[in-house]
Amino acid sequence: MAHQAHAYHMVDPSPWPLTGAISALLMTSGLATWWHYKTTTLLFLGTTLLLLTMFQWWRDIIRESTFQGHHSTPVQKGLRYGMVLFITSEVFFFIGFFWAFYHSSLAPAIELGGLWPPTGITPLDPFEVPLLNTAVLLASGVTVTWAHHTIMEGARKPALQSLTLTVLLGLYFTALQAMEYYEAPFTLADGVYGCTFFVATGFHGLHVIIGTTFLMVCLLRHTHYHFTSNHHFGFEAGAWYWHFVDVVWLFLYISIYWWGS
Amino acid sequence: MLQRSYLTQVWHQLSSPAAGHGEKSAKTWKMLTFLVALPGVGVCMLNTFLKAQHHSHEQPEFVPYSHLRIRSKRFPWGDGNKTLFHNPHVNALPGGYESHE
Repeated sequence: MAHQAHAYHMVDPSPWPLTGAISALLMTSGLATWWHYKTTTLLFLGTTLLLLTMFQWWRDIIRESTFQGHHSTPVQKGLRYGMVLFITSEVFFFIGFFWAFYHSSLAPAIELGGLWPPTGITPLDPFEVPLLNTAVLLASGVTVTWAHHTIMEGARKPALQSLTLTVLLGLYFTALQAMEYYEAPFTLADGVYGCTFFVATGFHGLHVIIGTTFLMVCLLRHTHYHFTSNHHFGFEAGAWYWHFVDVVWLFLYISIYWWGS
Repeated sequence: MLQRSYLTQVWHQLSSPAAGHGEKSAKTWKMLTFLVALPGVGVCMLNTFLKAQHHSHEQPEFVPYSHLRIRSKRFPWGDGNKTLFHNPHVNALPGGYESHE
């Protein structure tokens, strides 16, 4: 019987990278055909394929790690590097939108009235719902840390409690922000103010939804006893991502909501 | 392989989940949750509710500024003239507010 003479994981051949790449192609061309020809077929196909890819690829990783034991210490170390690098790339993604915001707001064009917020724009009061949103995300950072410690201590019920609380806070943020989007007296089409506001906060909201989903998966896995007190990298990756989402919000709040009003 | 660099050792300590905090750390974070974090959320909820009551529910005045309500291209939904989160009460169309029935 052949055994590997190293601690690394030589992954079995898998179709999911290919289906993921195909879904990326379908979604991008799908967006173009939706916007130009008003047909949604490609976009719908691409999105379906993306969801199937994500579900099956991550399911396979859970099988390889939790059930087949392939995630040795060096493998886990590689995954940690990977998650850090991914989050770093996302930081740069947001830096772009902050760049755009400051570019337009530090020296407001004469067409906007030469001031920021532009003439005719009533910004949201930063001390109403935005402040509540800040409290909600900060609180969720505390609860996810509580969850991490309970997992390390092997305390099952408190872990379920704290993780559930974190997810609920994430959902509450999303609900509040959706309501804010509807109630806002300005829209995406309101010049560079509307554009920078909704694109930056919109991508942030998408990341909140992604992070909440990640934590919900962690919660589900924890109910199925996937995590041990010293091996729970899936949860740690989710917690790191969640803290990143929180930090991005803090920058958004200070820059766009507070300074930008 | 037997010699680890200082950096590797530090990395290992930082990334090791059982990085040796006190056994009662979960209790600390639980207290922070229920004594600071969640009450903070509660205070902000109250503040938001109270401030919202003070609001007038008047429609903001419509001025047909050319730098707002941009329509370079129709939106790919509906009649192509309304944004995704369009609220007829506070979002005027390029020509003004929609008439209420």
